[in-house]
Amino acid sequence: MSKILAKNLNLWYGTFHALQNINLGFGERRITAIIGPSGCGKSTLLRVFNRMNDVVEGVKVGGEVLIDNENIFDGDFNDLVKLRKKVGMVFQRPNPFPLSIYENIVFGLKVHHLVKKKEFNAIVQESLESVMLWNDLKNKLHKNALGLSLEQKQRLCIARTIAVKPDIVLMDEPCSALDPQATLKIEELMQRLKKDYTIVIVTHNMQQAARVSEDTGFMLLGELIEFGRTADIFTAPKDKRTEEYITGRYG
Amino acid sequence: MKTTTKQKIAFSILFLCTIIVVLPVVCIFWIIIKNGYKGITWQFITAMPTEGMRQGGVYPAIVGTLYLVCLSIVFSLPMGVMAAVYLNEYAKDNLLTRLIRLAIVNLAGVSSVVYGLFGLALFVTFMKFGVSILSGALTLAIMNLPVIITASREALASVPYSFREVSLSLGLSRWQTIRHSVLPFAIPGILTGAILSLARAAGETAPILFTVAAFYLPHLPKSIFDQAMVLPYHLYIISTQIPNISRETRYATAFVLVGIVFTMNIFAVIIRSRLRKKKKW
Ligand SMILES: Nc1ncnc2c1ncn2[C@@H]1O[C@H](COP(=O)(O)OP(=O)(O)OP(=O)(O)O)[C@@H](O)[C@H]1O
Ligand SMILES: [Mg+2]
Repeated sequence: MSKILAKNLNLWYGTFHALQNINLGFGERRITAIIGPSGCGKSTLLRVFNRMNDVVEGVKVGGEVLIDNENIFDGDFNDLVKLRKKVGMVFQRPNPFPLSIYENIVFGLKVHHLVKKKEFNAIVQESLESVMLWNDLKNKLHKNALGLSLEQKQRLCIARTIAVKPDIVLMDEPCSALDPQATLKIEELMQRLKKDYTIVIVTHNMQQAARVSEDTGFMLLGELIEFGRTADIFTAPKDKRTEEYITGRYG
Repeated sequence: MKTTTKQKIAFSILFLCTIIVVLPVVCIFWIIIKNGYKGITWQFITAMPTEGMRQGGVYPAIVGTLYLVCLSIVFSLPMGVMAAVYLNEYAKDNLLTRLIRLAIVNLAGVSSVVYGLFGLALFVTFMKFGVSILSGALTLAIMNLPVIITASREALASVPYSFREVSLSLGLSRWQTIRHSVLPFAIPGILTGAILSLARAAGETAPILFTVAAFYLPHLPKSIFDQAMVLPYHLYIISTQIPNISRETRYATAFVLVGIVFTMNIFAVIIRSRLRKKKKW
């Protein structure tokens, strides 16, 4: 059974048909990669699952997206807070708040009053441990997060996301601001996180998709061309366009 | 002519223009300080005026000015910030919004005497607050609103979009996002703008002339419904209406007024430079 299931998903920015009749399912506690050339709609698709496109003016969505069997585009569905707690997001540029490391991690907890203040310390430790930052940062929790390295910042952002205890983590090119070494480390981290979270990652980097993901979807001009096991997509693509893309004949 | 010579001439002209801009400021300060510093005594600052304002101090005028400025910010800051939040965070770009923006720009250009007459008509007469600190503060607040709104909008706009995005993605509502992820990071900028606008208001005469200013009051205001003496108007009176007043007293009064305005500006500059240091996002 799929954690996330899209049925006949369509999305328009005004009159521009950005996602065209997309059908797919993301397995629970797996990593799914979305690849495709620039502008094909990867980010748009990702932002469908936590309804971040809602803030864009003139967006229209058709079809169904079921998360745990609940259609998040149903007319009755309006609990965006609950949805976004369940579906966290990590962005392209590491974007910690200009606050302390500690404050960054408890940011969501504080506003949501999810847990008592005295549990904050435990959650900060737990979150930092799961992104493998605890040992480095345990003595500077109250230093400003802007002083961290890019890689550490991105890890911190992941920790901030998982502190709210989501089921699903969406990552939009999470390594594109990082150097190759940091990229590998974040990939390692994703493998660890897979035990607890369903991860969807958008990436420009095909090696990355091949390395980290179990399933891969290939998009082109708003359409999902092919979706399947990563191994199959990269070794025996069914569609000619997929083959052309992964062999490097597209931008 | 050689290029380097041309360049030297051009730079010299630019430098000259810069100096000419600075010159009046330096002159004003110098003249006021030179003529006024002897008059600045503890007594001058803390005593009531006596002998038909020829002797004694300017204490009530200082108090009146501070009352007025503080009360006006109580009105204008919350209103200005809320308007700025609406315009920057919520308003769609439609005709109404554009009209509002146009109104704000025009409001900033209205001359201060018009605000004074408006305050007289609305607060003093129509709303029956009388000539009082309340009327004066409201008039100054309205005069300051466009400046505060503009400064607040700039401060809000300088908060990166990514802060809002992260915040929404963590499940905060739009209002929670503004409250927790935008406003806290805009506050130094907002305060800077507010203080600068207040400093200007503190020195204005026209808006307070008909709404609050008393020629002479032998006591301090007891409530916001009292009239008050105010520094700029007091300075105007002792300079034009009262004969045989010593030059020193006049300059000392100007010294105090400029001093208050200058102190406020310094505060604003300090806040802003602190902000610059912190702001590395
Ligand atoms: N807010 C918007 N309004 C109108 N069109 C948009 C908007 N956002 C994206 N688009 C368009 O939708 C298409 C898909 O954009 P999207 O950002 O999803 O692409 P992407 O695959 O993530 O590209 P990239 O790899 O460059 O990040 C693009 O053609 C883009 O121009
Ligand atoms: Mg993108």
